[in-house]
Amino acid sequence: MAPIGKPAGWEAKRSQALALGLAPALVVLTVITLGPAVYLVVTSLTPLNLVNPQSALDFSHPLGNYRDALTDTRFLNSVWVQIELSVATVVLQIAAGLATALLLNAHSRFLEAIRTAFLIPMVLPPIVVAIIWKVIYTPDVSPVHRALAALGLPLASLIANADSAIWAIVVADSWEWFPFTMLMTLAALQMIPSEPIEAATIDGASRLQLFRYIVLPYIRPTLVVCALFRLIDSIKAFPLIYVLTNGGPGTATEVTNYYGFQQAFNFSYWGYGSAIATMMVAGVFMLSSIIGRLDQRLGDNA
Amino acid sequence: MRKPVDQSKTPCIADDQHKPHDSSLSLTRRRLLAGGAAAAVGGATAASGFPYISRARAADKPLSGTTLNVSCWSAPYPKYLADYIPEFEHATGAKVNYETPSFPIYNQRIDIELSTRGTAYDVLNITFIYAGRWIGAGWFEPLDGFINDPKKTPAEWDAGDFLGGTTATMKDSKGQLYGIPWIADVIMAGAARADLIHKAGKKMPDTFDEVTDVMKAVHNKDNVPGFIIDNHYGWTWIPWLQGFGGNVFRDPPGDLMPTLDTPEAIAAADFFANLLTSYGPNGVISYTYDQVVAALKQGRANYSPNNQTFLVQMGASDSKVASTCDFSLFPAGPKGRFPAVSTHAWGIPIGSKNKDAAWEFIKWAMSKELIARMVREKGYTSITRRSLIEQPDFRQKLMINGRDVARIYLDTVELGAKGYMKYRTVPVYPQVDKEIDIAIQNIASKQKSASDAMKQAQANSLTQLRRSGIKL
Amino acid sequence: MTLLAIVLFPFLWMLQMSFRPNDDIMGYSVRFVPTMQNYLSLWTGNFPKSFANSVAVSSSSTVLSLLIGVPAAYALSRGRFRRRRAIAMWILATRMAPPIAFTIPFFLAYRYLHLIDTVAGLVIIYLTFNLALVIWMMQGFFNSVPRQLEEAAWIDGCTVWGTFRRIALPLAAPGLAATAVLCFILSWNDFFFALILTRTSAMTAPVAIVNFMQYEGWEWGKIAAAGTLVMLPVLVFTFLVRTYLVRGLTAGGLKE
Repeated sequence: MAPIGKPAGWEAKRSQALALGLAPALVVLTVITLGPAVYLVVTSLTPLNLVNPQSALDFSHPLGNYRDALTDTRFLNSVWVQIELSVATVVLQIAAGLATALLLNAHSRFLEAIRTAFLIPMVLPPIVVAIIWKVIYTPDVSPVHRALAALGLPLASLIANADSAIWAIVVADSWEWFPFTMLMTLAALQMIPSEPIEAATIDGASRLQLFRYIVLPYIRPTLVVCALFRLIDSIKAFPLIYVLTNGGPGTATEVTNYYGFQQAFNFSYWGYGSAIATMMVAGVFMLSSIIGRLDQRLGDNA
Repeated sequence: MRKPVDQSKTPCIADDQHKPHDSSLSLTRRRLLAGGAAAAVGGATAASGFPYISRARAADKPLSGTTLNVSCWSAPYPKYLADYIPEFEHATGAKVNYETPSFPIYNQRIDIELSTRGTAYDVLNITFIYAGRWIGAGWFEPLDGFINDPKKTPAEWDAGDFLGGTTATMKDSKGQLYGIPWIADVIMAGAARADLIHKAGKKMPDTFDEVTDVMKAVHNKDNVPGFIIDNHYGWTWIPWLQGFGGNVFRDPPGDLMPTLDTPEAIAAADFFANLLTSYGPNGVISYTYDQVVAALKQGRANYSPNNQTFLVQMGASDSKVASTCDFSLFPAGPKGRFPAVSTHAWGIPIGSKNKDAAWEFIKWAMSKELIARMVREKGYTSITRRSLIEQPDFRQKLMINGRDVARIYLDTVELGAKGYMKYRTVPVYPQVDKEIDIAIQNIASKQKSASDAMKQAQANSLTQLRRSGIKL
Repeated sequence: MTLLAIVLFPFLWMLQMSFRPNDDIMGYSVRFVPTMQNYLSLWTGNFPKSFANSVAVSSSSTVLSLLIGVPAAYALSRGRFRRRRAIAMWILATRMAPPIAFTIPFFLAYRYLHLIDTVAGLVIIYLTFNLALVIWMMQGFFNSVPRQLEEAAWIDGCTVWGTFRRIALPLAAPGLAATAVLCFILSWNDFFFALILTRTSAMTAPVAIVNFMQYEGWEWGKIAAAGTLVMLPVLVFTFLVRTYLVRGLTAGGLKE
């Protein structure tokens, strides 16, 4: 991009000026992300516990926390619960988001207004979402429970029952986040060129066939990206568990993030908590790179 | 400012008591009243706390400009105290930011705050299961300096008036006191619908077997589930554990080997979980203490082996079961009767920047006058001052439906002094407490058998102890 | 549509609860006398202060993130940096880390720096997600601003940042607005960081609600009212920028 007549060294000067704009951000990012990351890993090598501040410098058993975690049944259980939760909510969100997007995919002002209303669950503060669902899941105050009881179908408390507690969280979480998928899918749907659809319709294809052979391939990349984002975010689930079940009943809804929170912030096991956090970050990275590579390979074969 | 005076001694000033927020008394009148009452009563109960402040530092508001941050979990006493705080603010000029979150939230936030030796709070509650941890780590200010200094604390405030058993847990190994106890809470038994029990031809159960018997007889009669208890099992289950002959640790505080997988422990867990699942209301394992109180008061559940401070609310004026409730000593198991006793106290965190002001607040909040007023005006009865407990009208107040609850309370406190409560002075008890919560939840929600759940609790507790650096 | 009604039902239920009088809080009937009692009772105590804190923290964080992030986004969009891909990955990575990975080191560091329970402390930690968001989104918006105008200006001798100010920025203004709103919303909604890092002076509104979390009948009304107040700014802002929101979120979400 060097049109005739530009002074020499102009490119370099421009690059320099741009770099100056980028520098502060890079500096800040380094300080607030790399710094803490290093500190996290270092702390995970110590048995730091604030009741005993000297333990901050105790590197005698650097992998002690990690070995501890691998034999800690509660930690292992939390990983399993996390997997259950993540898979369930991602699937449910994609399904719900896709369904809603399909329903709203038309150009009418009415539908566009409704689209905004559907955004509400996603933008609500998560703690408010947690409170809303707490009301719904508490049998004494819940309109749903009482309506069901009035109809002669009394429902036991979902969050007090080990089998249903995790599903209660899954439903609440999906309710909160399906608009994300809906938005992205809608945008993708509206970018599908109309000729293939018209052609197929003229040829007599049914709606289901249209969906399977034309629409789906077009939006598949979007769905994968959605799934990836939602999967990563599902690991962060916190307010719902904090308010609804506290990890219970027993440890049925104790996900890794929550277990780490308890260890670090309830009992001051900073070293152990750091180890859990480090493992989570590593896990997420590996997961997303695996999915990214899988997607590429699938895309190549498509 | 109203002059707090013991009502029984000077009835002519009694009418002043019923204008709660009338603070228009002039200074001289205040002084006169203070002097006069002091003379009349002989200084025994009247002249500590407030009047002390007003006498010593006349017209100025001694703490004006100071902001005190106070926090405590949402028990009845702290909630009643909130109504009196404007008086304190008016008299001293201090501003008080007062919060009362729920028990688990309070403990988590305060534990993390204390661990930073932060300055955010000036007066905090020392929770009973955390006392060992917080005092042992040196996160609270020793109070002996404040108590023994006559300029800071007049003799009439009577620091020795607090029940011995309550201050014992707030002292460190050297005998230094760190907290002024505001409650000695005991576990006893209460029934919201004792009428149903009598109709079935039974009386309040006195042994574990009788409990099962009575539950079978009254469960779901009149649509009322027979049993209810909140889900802090690390507190509510231990008396059952010990009643079966088990214990949390082998021999605290020296031998901290947990003993959660002994046959006695497994039997106790099984028995208790069975009470929950067979006779408890829908979703009982998610019930917190305030939910339980609400349920009892509305007659939505019957028998509860619970804290006295919660159970007596069944007799309150806004309770639907005020005329049908009854109380008894906690039942005895095969190996004895071990009702739990707990103490919560006001303390000053070591990072506070307003320690003298904080002490003024504690003095006021625990003064004889204020506590006496709380008993009178709010019907609050879980108090720690012996002089007030021994007053006849107090015993009268705690007669609910003909049952001498004060007697039950005192008997239980005596039992508690026998030493079986040592498990909760162990600094790592909070972690074990959580494992017990999880275990009982697992059993009651049918995720694990009693044996498996307790074995896991034992294993996890050992892990937690090791993680805290404790050698067994 | 009925689907909308079903989906929004939980949200609407809480809304109506905030207007119910205390004793009827769990009542069935649709006809009740609405009361402002719950909202009024919120105004004593700590809640107003926490609300003000939320406003302060969210605005400051938005402004700070924009100040640092927008020039960086422009530089990434217009420049030819070898490490561009690495930076993009880095930004994605910060989004991936679970909150406790940040809170543990930040908490321990803030202890020493005395930043616990300060508005400044929260603003700094919010940069971890806001800065990444700003850079990611604004880069997308700048990419869709045609370069011809800028190139013309450069040829005429304008400085890089001059053209940025006079040409690129105004053209990307709608994107800027959307990004600013998203930053505000994300900061406002944060619960975890505020829960751990604030106590009394800097407590934000979402955390203050947690203090009301008790069961007794009358508190439900207060909780509902508090929840409604906390979500109100977010809803208002979302409505104002709804068209840009869609574009903004999808521009940021899809790969470049």
